[in-house]
Amino acid sequence: MSTSNADGSDGNRGVSRRGFLSSMGVGAVSMALPTELAGTPPPSPEMVEAGDLTQIALRINGREYPALVEPRWSLLHVLREELGLTAAKEGCGRGECGSCTVLIDGAPRYACLTLALEAEGTSVTTLEGLMKGEELGPTQQAFAEEDAFQCGYCTPGQIMATEGLLLQNPHPSQDEIRTGVSGNLCRCGTYAHIFKAVDRAAGLRSAEGGGS
Amino acid sequence: MLQNFSYARVSSLGEAIEHLAPTGSRVHAGGTDLLGCLRDGVFAADKVVSIAGIDALKGIGDSANGVVRIGALTPLAEIAASPLVQQGYTALAQAADAVGTPQLRNQGTLGGNVCQKPRCWYYRGPFDCMRKGGGRCYALTGNNEGHAIFGGTGCHVVHPSDTAPALMALGATATLMGPEGRRSVALSDFFVPPRVDPTSETVLGPGEVLTELVLPTPREGLRSSYRKVRGRRSWDFALAGVALALRMTPAGVVETAKVVFSGVAPVPWRSTAVEQVLTGQSLTDDVVRLASEAGVEDAQPLRHNGYKVDLLRGIIAEQLTSIA
Amino acid sequence: MSGDGPVRYWLEGTELLETPEPAQEAEPWSETRVVGQRLRRVDAYERVSGTARYPSDIVLPGMLYGAILRCPHPHARVLSVDTTAAEAMPGVRAVVSGFTDLDRAMRPHQRLIRENLFVELCRHEGETVAAVAADTPYRARDALRAIRVDYEELPFISDERDALESGAPLVHEAGNRVSDPRVYERGDLARGFEEADIVLEEEYRTECELHTPLEPHGCVANWEGDRLTIWESTQGVYPVRQDAARALGISQSKVRVVGEYMGGGFGSKLGAGKYTIIAALLARSTARPVKLFLTREETFLTEGNRPPANMHVRAGVKSDGTLTAVEFVATATGGAYPAGGTSALDYLIRDLYLCPNVRAETADLYINAGPARPMRAPGHPQCAWALEQMMDTLAEAIDMDPLEFRLKNVPAVSQAGGRPYTTTGLRDCLSEGAEAFGWTEARARAERGTGDPYVRRGVGMAGAMWAAGGGGPPATVIIKLFSDGGVSLNMGASDIGTGTKTVMAMVAAEELWIDPGDIEIEHADTATTHFASASGGSKTVPTESPAVRAAALLVKGQIIDMAARQLGVEPGTLQLREGRVVSESGEQPEVAISELTELRRRGFVEGIGFRGPNPAGKAVNPFAAQFCEVEVDLRTGEVEILRFLGAHDSGRVLNRMTYDNQVFGGITMGIGFGSTEKRVLDRGQTGRLLSRGWHDYRIPTALDVPADMSTVAIDPGDTEANTTGTKGIGEPATIPTAPAIANAVYHATGVRVTDTPITPAAVVEALARRPRGA
Repeated sequence: MSTSNADGSDGNRGVSRRGFLSSMGVGAVSMALPTELAGTPPPSPEMVEAGDLTQIALRINGREYPALVEPRWSLLHVLREELGLTAAKEGCGRGECGSCTVLIDGAPRYACLTLALEAEGTSVTTLEGLMKGEELGPTQQAFAEEDAFQCGYCTPGQIMATEGLLLQNPHPSQDEIRTGVSGNLCRCGTYAHIFKAVDRAAGLRSAEGGGS
Repeated sequence: MLQNFSYARVSSLGEAIEHLAPTGSRVHAGGTDLLGCLRDGVFAADKVVSIAGIDALKGIGDSANGVVRIGALTPLAEIAASPLVQQGYTALAQAADAVGTPQLRNQGTLGGNVCQKPRCWYYRGPFDCMRKGGGRCYALTGNNEGHAIFGGTGCHVVHPSDTAPALMALGATATLMGPEGRRSVALSDFFVPPRVDPTSETVLGPGEVLTELVLPTPREGLRSSYRKVRGRRSWDFALAGVALALRMTPAGVVETAKVVFSGVAPVPWRSTAVEQVLTGQSLTDDVVRLASEAGVEDAQPLRHNGYKVDLLRGIIAEQLTSIA
Repeated sequence: MSGDGPVRYWLEGTELLETPEPAQEAEPWSETRVVGQRLRRVDAYERVSGTARYPSDIVLPGMLYGAILRCPHPHARVLSVDTTAAEAMPGVRAVVSGFTDLDRAMRPHQRLIRENLFVELCRHEGETVAAVAADTPYRARDALRAIRVDYEELPFISDERDALESGAPLVHEAGNRVSDPRVYERGDLARGFEEADIVLEEEYRTECELHTPLEPHGCVANWEGDRLTIWESTQGVYPVRQDAARALGISQSKVRVVGEYMGGGFGSKLGAGKYTIIAALLARSTARPVKLFLTREETFLTEGNRPPANMHVRAGVKSDGTLTAVEFVATATGGAYPAGGTSALDYLIRDLYLCPNVRAETADLYINAGPARPMRAPGHPQCAWALEQMMDTLAEAIDMDPLEFRLKNVPAVSQAGGRPYTTTGLRDCLSEGAEAFGWTEARARAERGTGDPYVRRGVGMAGAMWAAGGGGPPATVIIKLFSDGGVSLNMGASDIGTGTKTVMAMVAAEELWIDPGDIEIEHADTATTHFASASGGSKTVPTESPAVRAAALLVKGQIIDMAARQLGVEPGTLQLREGRVVSESGEQPEVAISELTELRRRGFVEGIGFRGPNPAGKAVNPFAAQFCEVEVDLRTGEVEILRFLGAHDSGRVLNRMTYDNQVFGGITMGIGFGSTEKRVLDRGQTGRLLSRGWHDYRIPTALDVPADMSTVAIDPGDTEANTTGTKGIGEPATIPTAPAIANAVYHATGVRVTDTPITPAAVVEALARRPRGA
């Protein structure tokens, strides 16, 4: 983590800084390199001044993404607005809906309640990371087959919660399924179909030999 | 959206204590309560000090020297899933499992759960209330359906923690580290009621951090449980809850009893009245009834939360029946 | 256009366009091959892969972030707005308020609520005062904090039950009544009560419910010269275009609105919001794209609600179960503006059950709170909460089974309008639903007890209908069949998550003998489609699907004509089958579509389908009955809903899987309305919103709904209503849920909870009031 003092009181600095950030965001995707490293340990101790931009490296879906972030930026903001990974959604910004659920080191967490700086040194998985090229992963497949969504806005979070549940518990009971997705609101009310989809996903994953 | 703050990531307690010394510094463990509070403007932070990377504060120790130590940074999900906790400290495992949602249990820590800010829609909302240093408690005269029926002197928030009542019932001690060094505080002395200071929740001083919770090794015959009732079956805080830790003879006589309520007072609320009724008795229907009545004897409900008296009485009875 | 009776909220404020009447309407399907199946959605891949792009996902080069400063008081006058400090902040690109030079911002923003974009007299918490655009959303919020506003705080009223008291603060100078109370009467009420053997009355209340779609309200606005493109989270791109063009004073031809995916609306996203206009203004003044999505608490404050209702019901019944009289007196509030506080609130009283003597009086009042918006079956769940509990109470008073009592009072004719229904499935919903649920056995089993003295089981039900749900013109759908066999379907309507795209593809596939998944769909984009009204009112399927069928039939006819010419046979003997034109008898020559020389020369054929009118003099309505079983813990007041069954007559079911999903979704929302949800204002103190997030405004989670949900489809196929035989399902699915729960809780405990929601607190309180030993 290196610190750069890119902020200033000059209103114009925002323009150039913002322009730089935008191109960074786009560039980050093409520059992302597959890496064998399993989550580099966070450098420490570190200090970032308020409003400063700091270069960090986030490990997302098995790739390294460099990003410039302010201390207050959430992982969700960086994923969606800076890196173009928009599957994780914002529904509330304060851990009350689950639309932003991602896996951090394999466990479902709320990206809106995670500072981007706190995600450094972890391994982040988003819905995009469940795809095998253009092919759906088994959990996604199960959600499609069981019609486990309506508007689809909460769906990426529901699928990531399911993915996290099944990583930990490949054959959940009905109660465990319901608890496993109880941190994800669906206002369209598709829970009954989601329960079936989680069950089906468990089946598809074990048929694939433990799943991805 | 969060306001600006500076950020320090520390790898040792010493650094943490140094960074936390100035007022305006806030400790970041799991971050779930901190970031929610910052977003809602409950308080501001000049500096956020992340202790999340201090591995020494994580994990559930083995039983040694008559105690089990649980690091303050241990995620709630790990506590709920721990066989050691499930078997020896059932109330704690049940309480950890009753917190928030799976995601919040993965991210939230035991220390953070114990130290979280209270729940009150005035305190959490855009109201300059007594706990935020303002002049009045809006809940006293306003909509207080979720508020305290015990101990609401000046401020009627409820303590939101599920694990704290369970830990208290199990006789936990908190280890604190600060500029003055290390100290141990019984958890029952850790929380600050509003009659002492309506603007603080714990005895933590400037720069002081809760590092671990220490539980005595379970004694023969210990049975414990935690149960809360809530408006929704996920995410919600307790409308009322009960943590029990009873040591019972093989014949079913209660030798010692610790009873702590959640969701009904500004701090986890120990009920010595219930404990007295239970001690030396078998859990007969009469004793259960007397105990549940004793539990609500001193309740002082507000205009909209009278139901909590009946609810709490019901939970006490239910839990005493099922633990027998 | 007579089919939808008195309720057409989804058209309010929308300029409705006329389309040609189809020359000839198709006959009903006798059997179907695709329609009615359980088929995976045509856009399932997009929705589970993360590639579905929602408006809030849009990121454009150079994009700024907008944010709105809102009045923190329930009633206040804005004396001054000082934006100097905010304008000087780093990264801040524009600041606008009622006190800045952007005078266009003062244009009334809506037809129904004629207020300026930025309000000087704020009548509710959350009124718009100023807005900013900045480089990041964080900096936009920083800038809001730097704006200084002087408010003169005014007395306010925050509960409609206080609004008519003498000396109550006035929301509008003329008083706190939106209008004189509206009265509906038929028959002779007094005589009806005289004829009754039993007359009962009760007060019921339903709390204010918030829509809370998961995607917040908002948009991205971008100007290219004088052309504006808006990506909006909306139920209807055309109403948004009309609203935006009107407010900005530009031609609709200059405005493109795109809304292919959207994260839920439930009636709260039927037109442009103030945020739409603000985003467009900020984008124009900065010459940059602006993304403006509201925070969750902003949506709670300003983006609509289902009004709270206070309902007094008095009803008379003969001991044989004949309803003789029903009187309904209700007050409700749509907030600080005329916003339909009592919309359709008495419709079920007028129409659901047979009763010759009816009087309904509804009064819409103002309070200092955010305006209501239509929410999934406006008025109906409130009215059902009262009426369906009263039905059970009456049945008990005459010692009759609640189901039997309802079956005794099923009307054949719409009493509200004096017209026959095209079809009424109410009787079938009640009886077939009860049979599938095992009503009689479940009631008896519940009454035998659970074995635990503190846990009681109960079984309840409720009936319902929806005042609209028949759809109607206009609808324009274009289907093209290309010479390589490809098919595209073009419609203006949005798929708000109900599966619109999928069922339309199924209708086209039915006629064209292709796989629905092979149909390319363009929709919800004003640049590429024809006008459609917003998707709401449970009318999208019955409105659009006949137009889809008409378009497909026009395409099919042209293909068959081409084949007939090529083969030298009569077209009447030919049919389309799996990419080939074949003869009915199988004895004549056949030809593949790809071998039609005329089609290859032209490249494609096109059918433009329109929606014909509904049958004159008939009422088209969906009907429903829902059944549930609950367990109530007498010590804690917890209600566990064990199972739910929805029996629905919504005409022909196009896709059984998305149909089930709609019913389960409606039940889930009804569980929230009945069990957990309540907007809370600080009545008598600050008047501000207390339930500011999903922690304090509780919508159901996965643990609050039963896994055991099922449907019974009463599927007569409403052959009179339209050419696909369809009626709507989205709204009826949520109407009877809450009173079914209340009736089950009563069956379990012997106590009635007459106010929503049935929380543990409410049950514990009701049980405490119960006489001992009851």
